Amino acid sequence: MAERITRREALGVTFLTLAAGPVRIQVALDGTLTAFTAKVELGQGARTELIMAVAEEMRVPVAQVRLVMGDTALCPDDGGTWGSLTTPQAVPLMRQAAADQRGGAITPPSQWKILGTEVADVRGPDIVTGRQVYPSDHRMGGMLHARVVRSPYYRAKLLKAGDVAGVRVIRDGDLLALVSEDPVAVKRAAEQIKCEWEPVPFPVAPSDPQALAAWFKANSTPPVENPNTRYPPLVRRGDAQKTIHSEAGKNASSYWLPYIAHVPMEPRAAVAVWKDGAVEIRGGCQAPFPVRAEVAKALEVPESHVRIIASGPGGGFGGKQRGEIEIEAARIARLAGAPVKLQWSREEEFTCAYHRPAGLVEIESTLVNGKLDTWVHRNYNAGAPGLPTPYDTPNVSCEFHRTPTPVRQGSYRSLAAVSNIFARESHIDEWASQLKMDPFEFRLRNIGDARLRAVLEKLRNVRGGLACTIEKEARIALRAQVSAQGREIKVQRLVYVGDYGAAINPRNLRKQIQGALVQGLGGALFEEVIFAGEEQKTRLLSSYRVPRFSDTPQIDVELIDRRDVEPAGAGEAAITLVAPAIANALFFLTGHRLRNLPLQPPG
Amino acid sequence: MAVITLNVNGAMRSADVHPGTTLLEFLHDYLEVAGAKCGCEEGTCGACTVHLEGKAIRSCMVTAASCKGKRITTIEGLAAGDRLHAVQKAFLAVEAFQCGFCTPGMIMEAAALIAEGKPLTAARVRERMEGHICRCGEYNSIVKAVLQAAQELKRG
Ligand code: FES
Ligand code: FES
Repeated sequence: MAERITRREALGVTFLTLAAGPVRIQVALDGTLTAFTAKVELGQGARTELIMAVAEEMRVPVAQVRLVMGDTALCPDDGGTWGSLTTPQAVPLMRQAAADQRGGAITPPSQWKILGTEVADVRGPDIVTGRQVYPSDHRMGGMLHARVVRSPYYRAKLLKAGDVAGVRVIRDGDLLALVSEDPVAVKRAAEQIKCEWEPVPFPVAPSDPQALAAWFKANSTPPVENPNTRYPPLVRRGDAQKTIHSEAGKNASSYWLPYIAHVPMEPRAAVAVWKDGAVEIRGGCQAPFPVRAEVAKALEVPESHVRIIASGPGGGFGGKQRGEIEIEAARIARLAGAPVKLQWSREEEFTCAYHRPAGLVEIESTLVNGKLDTWVHRNYNAGAPGLPTPYDTPNVSCEFHRTPTPVRQGSYRSLAAVSNIFARESHIDEWASQLKMDPFEFRLRNIGDARLRAVLEKLRNVRGGLACTIEKEARIALRAQVSAQGREIKVQRLVYVGDYGAAINPRNLRKQIQGALVQGLGGALFEEVIFAGEEQKTRLLSSYRVPRFSDTPQIDVELIDRRDVEPAGAGEAAITLVAPAIANALFFLTGHRLRNLPLQPPG
Repeated sequence: MAVITLNVNGAMRSADVHPGTTLLEFLHDYLEVAGAKCGCEEGTCGACTVHLEGKAIRSCMVTAASCKGKRITTIEGLAAGDRLHAVQKAFLAVEAFQCGFCTPGMIMEAAALIAEGKPLTAARVRERMEGHICRCGEYNSIVKAVLQAAQELKRG
């Protein structure tokens, strides 16, 4: 065992792989435990909760456990850090591995001693002293600094590279990069160099909701049933296609979301070094193994010749799942013949990363005897997550229609659940107002799930626009109290109740909820990436409003901690309720039903 | 290239820098004093906040050359040896961070604000910290931590 540890430590500087394959937990002679996971710490608390899981099952203090994360040479492939899966998937794996190591059975939540308590974030002391190392802080001996030269257009072909003094120019097809030993020289040169580009026009104007919605519909492919995938694109019950036409009093409305940006606080960076035809890349991606595959494919080397070491970046929010910068760094380093550190600027973070998809959601529904009877829900482009409805409805057809997209798009905190739940929870409120019924009572009338009902009950006597759902197994509900003066909306207070099963670390869970709610304010009220002509106009932080201190209301979070239920993932779900709860509050306040995000009252 | 020497956390530190190098670049990219973080380089996020003569400034907005002869303190120089500054302690106790990338800037701003010695309320903290972005959304915890630190320092 000790010998294995030594070899593992040695791996820090070599490309050797272990014959025995990746191991989950190693015990050193002094009793120290080292656990391994390909999950990445993004600020969501994964490191601490996984350490807690090992400590719990091995019956040792948290301080005795070390955790190696995000290194494809050392860690088992745990998939990407996405979908709030660390808690429901990686934590059980870790608990099981540790229990096996101990030689006992996995500890049920009702008997937890370390899990289920408010263990402080193990990174805390390093974070408050500035010692925490982020991807943009990495460096190594003999390293060159690189910047990529970008066109002013969203997409363009490089016709002619310009000249620039004092730095090396590296060209690989359309990739034009500058490298130098001087980090600032290379940055200034990349800003100054003048090149000739041929813009590639957009197939449709990405900032024109009408045009884009029509284009999505015209180019969409209807879903095929596939219940075995994580996010089934078609959720069906009864015969909705028939009943939606046969039943009287149909309600139909459509909802819209624009492209928005993730804006992690840290613009991404990566350090790539080649040795004997293999490359090692230190960066901050959320998905080390999938990125390893991307890099291997792009650089045409076997996956065994790519090592990704993803250390905790300054925020991800679903925006750092792909290997854009790892691929660029590897390409540049190979041509430079030296280790290369590639840094993206904030402008590149806005214009070169993928966005949260724009989306159109159309809902048609009917009631029979005052209860939902048919629900037809079509999402164009945004995605399938969040499609399953928590409302008892005999006839359901919830569909994700895939379409092409005029801009790069990808994952986002909670994926398309933001779009689907905004549409569903708005539509539910529209029914309540038609029936002149309290939206709270209308929801209870149509919800059978006992846990969601219990969550809702906690908000019975709280004022404010309401939204609720079952998302990633969590039962959640939110009240938003808002005021509006002309076009200025102010959220005064958010009151949130969540049942996530057993809470692994209640303080961290509340932090994740608060953070997701704050992030949700941006998408609900002001975030939108703007395009015009062949360009993306949103390029700087000063032209993209994200929530600040003054936008953040009092937030009250109550948890229903169920020690009889295995824990649900929590990093994402809360964000889905913000926009509908605010839209529903605004309707109550002003009589205007806003169906487009960001929510902007007329006049 | 020109050599610039600045007083960083009480030590004279030199680097041969590109013309027009900002204080942030001097600290983070040349000296590898990496606590000052780069979030926007246009003065809108606050991640690069350090102290110049005890006042909080955005190190991305001033040239390194303009800081000659002045005292610069970064997050690395805030604690007295192993003794954390009250703001650092409060951020730890409240756990007013998630990814932690905004934290050095937040702490430096808050330390300078408290050092002004004026009475602080939650509203005043919000107003004075408005220029700092925490994309992880820890704003309410940060306000709590700053007030807690101010209390602690008042008690002495
Ligand atoms: S990096 Fe200086 S304010 Fe953002
Ligand atoms: S803790 Fe992540 S940006 Fe503030």
